[in-house]
Amino acid sequence: MEIITANELLSGATVYFQADGHWEADIDRARLFGADETEARDEVIAKAKATGRLVSIETEQVAVEGGKVIAQRLRERIRAEGPTAPRMKPQGLEEGDHVSL
Amino acid sequence: MYRYDEFDTQFVKGRVAQFRDQVNRRLTGELNEDQFRPLRLMNGLYLQLHAYMLRVAVPYGTLSSRQLHKLAHIARTYDRGYGHFTTRQNIQFNWPRLKDVPEILDELASVEMHAIQTSGNCIRNVTTDQFAGAAADEIIDPRPVGEIIRQWSSIHPEFTYLPRKFKIALTGAPNDRAAVKFHDIGLMAQQNEQGEIGWKVLVGGGLGRTPMIAKTVRDFVTHEDLLAYLESILRVYNRYGRRDNKYKARVKILVHEEGIETIREQVEAEFAEIQGGVLTLPQEELDRITAYFAPLEFKPSNATFDLPKLKAENPGLSRFVMLNAHEHRQPGYTSITISLKPIGGVPGDATADQMDAVAELAKAYSFDELRVTHEQNLVLPHVAIEDVPAVYAELQRIGLAEANAGQITDIIACPGLDFCALANARSIPIAQEISKRFGTPEKQSEIGELKIKISGCINACGHHHVGHIGILGVEKKGTELYQITVGGDATEDAAVGNILGRGFIAEEVPDAIQRLVDKYLGERANDNETFIQVVKRLGQEPFKEALYANG
Ligand code: SF4
Repeated sequence: MEIITANELLSGATVYFQADGHWEADIDRARLFGADETEARDEVIAKAKATGRLVSIETEQVAVEGGKVIAQRLRERIRAEGPTAPRMKPQGLEEGDHVSL
Repeated sequence: MYRYDEFDTQFVKGRVAQFRDQVNRRLTGELNEDQFRPLRLMNGLYLQLHAYMLRVAVPYGTLSSRQLHKLAHIARTYDRGYGHFTTRQNIQFNWPRLKDVPEILDELASVEMHAIQTSGNCIRNVTTDQFAGAAADEIIDPRPVGEIIRQWSSIHPEFTYLPRKFKIALTGAPNDRAAVKFHDIGLMAQQNEQGEIGWKVLVGGGLGRTPMIAKTVRDFVTHEDLLAYLESILRVYNRYGRRDNKYKARVKILVHEEGIETIREQVEAEFAEIQGGVLTLPQEELDRITAYFAPLEFKPSNATFDLPKLKAENPGLSRFVMLNAHEHRQPGYTSITISLKPIGGVPGDATADQMDAVAELAKAYSFDELRVTHEQNLVLPHVAIEDVPAVYAELQRIGLAEANAGQITDIIACPGLDFCALANARSIPIAQEISKRFGTPEKQSEIGELKIKISGCINACGHHHVGHIGILGVEKKGTELYQITVGGDATEDAAVGNILGRGFIAEEVPDAIQRLVDKYLGERANDNETFIQVVKRLGQEPFKEALYANG
């Protein structure tokens, strides 16, 4: 399964495309795209690019374990959870940083 | 210290205004990311894993207390209350928001700082010895020439789009503390037979994917000719440097492929054309810039450290003096390294409160001057020996009194996969674990000088190739693995370390380092023979055996 992630322009924060069309920091709520949904996925990517508000738009392979979305790559897990040493929260979105398609 | 003249001030302010407009146009959608990206990079603004990262230049590593206070203010107001000092003698802020960056640049401009040319294929921030202007072994204070190089290389119209980035480092002392042999151009102060002081010019050094030790292109260049000579090298590089392959685009590859003789011929031919022209550095101009770095009004003093007495009265302070105090050219004074490597901490990080306190120390005890070292520490360059106990006490209060300069816990580590978009593996937690393993004063005393350097990818920002022990993070099948090298040396005795064998997972690294350390302790001829001396004497083989003894 895949998810779509990007950095939001104003904050630089890591965000994930969610089923309701919003881009938020919570990876567990990311919209999951199955192997047969490449068209829907590519449509979201095209729309995301068109907003001009999302940078470094990428797809990531994930698995769902116990209701949690777990990225396959360590890099992506660190992006989702924040730096590990010292442990810090990821960048938060402030008012005005929220993007939706 | 150098003070901006009217031109510098106008230029930096103009650049902030220009970037403010560019950010506004990006926010309104007038510029798209493809158009905006090169503009933000020209102003030191990267997009990393979690947020933007702003890299601020600290020219030749010199800061005033006013500047450090400003950096503290920026960290507190626009970031998360800390900054990260880098191996380029720069500082990075990891969490700025795009809309705040023009404001941050404005604040920096108010204290004569900026982020220009801290990214991109241009001439980057010039770096030098952290003890410049203070060290007892110095032939010449390299900062005036560093400043002149900064002025010459700032928005140099011909060298804004080089094949790749270009780094110049210089040392005024024969003991190279600025790793000049691992820069695109390295300059080493020399005295010729006539007693004149000038520069030995080395070219084609570098780390990264293809580590190379710079080669001498000319043994002696006068101050007068230096800019013309540098310009000649840059022209040859700009013309012949490979633009077809980013991994082969640095000048080190050009020097390697063409040979130093060919490069020398080309540089000399170019130099013959332009020598004596507009780039000739008049003595009056050198004198004018040198005046900014005029000798300070030191108090006459014969104070020295009485180490046996100190040891009896205050063992912590005596250890601090032995390791973190560096010999000053002025009797009665010393240069103090403020270690940003507390045991188990993040190498190179300082909180806003720590920065403020260190700035106050500089004001009270070091003629308002500070330095950033390429080993990610800070320095109070001019401290009266009698003031050292007071400085130490304040450093203890703010948690920066670690006596470990040059020791096994004084580890260089790049930001790695915790922050960096290019990383393959984490660096910081590896440094923290090694630091904790060897962190007691007793262990460090036993081991002595040992430089560990860690990079999170082959770009080698953590200088792993030149660590006495180097650690390179790689990714293999989704796991972080760490390759270990021994024998690297960043000094005038430059050497690139050799990989000993297969990599280790993170949890195995402290034990692996322990085996290397134990081998060293078992092999050294006496307590004064350092790790790197033993490696140079015995070669890597015994260390390889020790590392992989049980398979
Ligand atoms: S060495 Fe690699 S991981 Fe470390 S800071 Fe440089 S680019 Fe990033």
